[in-house]
Amino acid sequence: MTSPLEYMNRLGFTEQELSSRRTYFQLVDEDLARLSALRPFAERHNDAIVDAFYQELLLKHSESRLFFTDQATLQRAMAAQKRYFLELFSGVCDLAYLENRLRVGTTHQRIGVAPKWYLGAYAHYLRLISARLLAEQGYSAETQEKLRSIQKIIFFDMSIAIETYIAAGLDALARHQAAIRELSTPVIQLYERVLLLPLIGTIDTARAMQVMEKVLVRVAERQAKVIVLDIAGVPVVDTRVANHLLQTTEAVRLLGASTVLTGISPQVAQTMVQLGVDLSKMHTRASLEEGLELALSLTGRVIRAKEG
Amino acid sequence: MQSGMIPILKVGGILLASIQTELNDTSAQAFQQDVLKAIERTRSRGLVIDITGLDMVDTFVARILTDSGRMAKLMGTETVLVGMRPEVAATLVRMGFSMQGVHTALNVDEGMALLATLRSSRDGE
Repeated sequence: MTSPLEYMNRLGFTEQELSSRRTYFQLVDEDLARLSALRPFAERHNDAIVDAFYQELLLKHSESRLFFTDQATLQRAMAAQKRYFLELFSGVCDLAYLENRLRVGTTHQRIGVAPKWYLGAYAHYLRLISARLLAEQGYSAETQEKLRSIQKIIFFDMSIAIETYIAAGLDALARHQAAIRELSTPVIQLYERVLLLPLIGTIDTARAMQVMEKVLVRVAERQAKVIVLDIAGVPVVDTRVANHLLQTTEAVRLLGASTVLTGISPQVAQTMVQLGVDLSKMHTRASLEEGLELALSLTGRVIRAKEG
Repeated sequence: MQSGMIPILKVGGILLASIQTELNDTSAQAFQQDVLKAIERTRSRGLVIDITGLDMVDTFVARILTDSGRMAKLMGTETVLVGMRPEVAATLVRMGFSMQGVHTALNVDEGMALLATLRSSRDGE
């Protein structure tokens, strides 16, 4: 799991970003002073607001109720919520505050609170606070100012949380892409100094580049003499794919090793010749079995039946 | 750029040049001169050029190396280029540069072994 601090850096939350964001949300020092002055109000109503929030919204909904599997979790969440609520009225909005808000975002993300729950809950929360503030202090220009300050800090908070959601989503995507990339080029050591790369699925330019790099690195690393590329699992072999394979072969040759291309179906053979692709520089075989025999013979070995 | 920057050693019947510094246009040309002169002087039948130390090879340097191999061949000496780094190979191929006609091997050891096979097959002719 990424720590909030790493997240801070990655999302670019610096002093400069903080100040520009505060300017954008028009969250000025007067707002913070107003919020800080509202702290006694917040403390008086904290329990009631958070309780109402849970009773009226979260626990009534079958989906959001699922976040609170047992009483202990619920208690913990409510206590955290109360702390969170009071922090809105701390009158401070610095990097530490930002980090704290970021942590809330990552927690939500981790336990699977979708943005819709987060935003819906916050809207509800805002209504609860406004109703109580109006009930206690009456409708006046001053109350309106206070409500505006509350609204500003809440929206400021939401902007941070939403970015956490997006960043976490992108992270997951990057992890999956890396996993797929890794899965798509498994270089296997078949025998001493003989490697096998079974290619499965469509080969586009990006993947071909990646295949070539992986092949070269592995060949150098293992000091392999031969690498067998099996294309039986590649649905379409056209001139572009053939060119990528030829490039890989040439690059492997530059390192001082050879490639053997196997899994060439009659259809692929026909296509290659009809398209006028010259694969004569490569060792080619129809099946992996024959390819393996050739690879071993290139390394000076032979498969022989046991006698007797 | 003076010659003699890259030592060319005579090992057994063959020449071994190990390039340990990045080559620029002038040092590459000087190297080519040196190699050809060494072949003339020692009458070696084989040349191994080790480029393990090269992180970057542009097309000019690649051409000089390939040409050196072809020139050596004209003088009766087979050349094996050994130890090319994966990223160098990938870049050269991507740039469409062909080093056809040059023998390659994974390391110096195998380069020497390859020269021995090349020589025995030629002597058998």
